[in-house]
Amino acid sequence: MTGRPMIMMLPFLTALLAIGFAISGRRGACIGLWVVTLLVFAAWCQYHMTGVLPISL
Amino acid sequence: MAGDIFSGSRRFSDGMNALGLAAVCGVLLMAFIWQVAFDELPCPLCLLQRVGFVLVGIGLLLNVRFGPSPLHYALILFSALAGAFAAGRQMLLHIGPADPGYGSPFLGLHFYTWAFVLFVLAMAWTAAMLVIDRACADAPRVRRNGPLVRAIIWLFFALVAANLVLTLLECGFGECADDPVSYLWWPR
Repeated sequence: MTGRPMIMMLPFLTALLAIGFAISGRRGACIGLWVVTLLVFAAWCQYHMTGVLPISL
Repeated sequence: MAGDIFSGSRRFSDGMNALGLAAVCGVLLMAFIWQVAFDELPCPLCLLQRVGFVLVGIGLLLNVRFGPSPLHYALILFSALAGAFAAGRQMLLHIGPADPGYGSPFLGLHFYTWAFVLFVLAMAWTAAMLVIDRACADAPRVRRNGPLVRAIIWLFFALVAANLVLTLLECGFGECADDPVSYLWWPR
């Protein structure tokens, strides 16, 4: 937790929109929203992966 | 002759992509049933792994809707890598000998371990499909899908919508608790 705002359901929303565009035949919009979803995924990973792992690698 | 071979492999590829999308639906359905029936709330990393499966599913959906393309397979590979990263991180969090892990195990493994296995399998599957579809170029064309494939596509859409609603009920418009015990907007 870093104190920055985050909305957990956001990647599901962007993914749902991407699926809607794929169904309606708009490939470019679908791929664009796939990229947005992946970026949100990466940001949320960074948000939740701040703790130190209890192992040595 | 070569045309026949590629036509046969294209039918096989279409079937495999639809089957892959059905498998992703199976994973999302299992997670949905486990959450609602057994009242086990997903942690943020668990939700991120679901997002990873949804991203894999979008790559498969693109193959199903527009025909196979190296670009779509690349999206599946990136998605599986991202999902494996989140699942691997959660495995390492609970890898200590005295750690009971998060949630109930299923067939001897926790769900994040299953997720890691499935993401690795998705990568191997994509490598195999790139061999089968080696002649395909990036020539997107909207396809007329049969009723069974359309049902799989709409099931995928419905499952992602259900995940959106469940996440909204659990976390609202904010972050989720690291170890959630109740829904924010769903008194049960």
